[in-house]
Amino acid sequence: MTNDHTRHRPTGFGNPWLQLGLSVLCVFVSEFLLKRGATDVAEPDSAFSWTGINGLKSPLVWWAILLIIASFISWLYVLRYVPITVAYPLSRVVDILVPLGCWIFLGELISTTRWCGIALVVVGLGLVAKPVAQIEERL
Amino acid sequence: MSALAFFLIVVSLLSFVAAQLILKRAMEFSAANGLRNSRFVSLAAIGVALMTISFFLTLGLLQRFDLSYLYPFQGLSVIFITLLAAVALKENLSARLMLGALLITAGIVLVSIS
Repeated sequence: MTNDHTRHRPTGFGNPWLQLGLSVLCVFVSEFLLKRGATDVAEPDSAFSWTGINGLKSPLVWWAILLIIASFISWLYVLRYVPITVAYPLSRVVDILVPLGCWIFLGELISTTRWCGIALVVVGLGLVAKPVAQIEERL
Repeated sequence: MSALAFFLIVVSLLSFVAAQLILKRAMEFSAANGLRNSRFVSLAAIGVALMTISFFLTLGLLQRFDLSYLYPFQGLSVIFITLLAAVALKENLSARLMLGALLITAGIVLVSIS
């Protein structure tokens, strides 16, 4: 670990791992809002819509933007204390939370291939997180 | 997928990756020198501008493609950011971290194409 700040970081609400969790949660919710909002106002025939700016007509997109700003502030805070080689891979836990969320809350089926992908991500997250857990133990 | 769509996906991915690295540099700098200095402000502004470009390009792409189709490209950001952080920011990159990043990338791609 090259970053000295991992050793002198705040606890409680300022704990960077808690902030990483909050950041992931905001991204998780914003993904659903963005897709729904973008679909609601889709104008595939208009060349201007390639810029995505027409998406601002949807209130859901604005809610998503608020959540993205919140997650962004938490994320910047995380970057201050944690190396990005650790923090970024961990933040992608959201990529399996989205399909799992669809499975749990929307009753969508998850194919065998998709379960395999989820398993790979979990193993990868474990590999990235284990050295972090060991550092925490030493503290 | 048209050549234009592919180009926009690549631009969106690259601007996102560059933004993350620049923001990491900005926050490291701020940890040592505080938030009130022109170098931190300009780095953060460039990072936010690149994130904004990536955001609107993604919003445009989402109007044409399913989220599940666009996701594998976002998955690639894990491997790009991990490698480039080791090169550009001189962060430690152990074999374990590298393998973890590769598995996460492979898993995200599998989840998206299934």
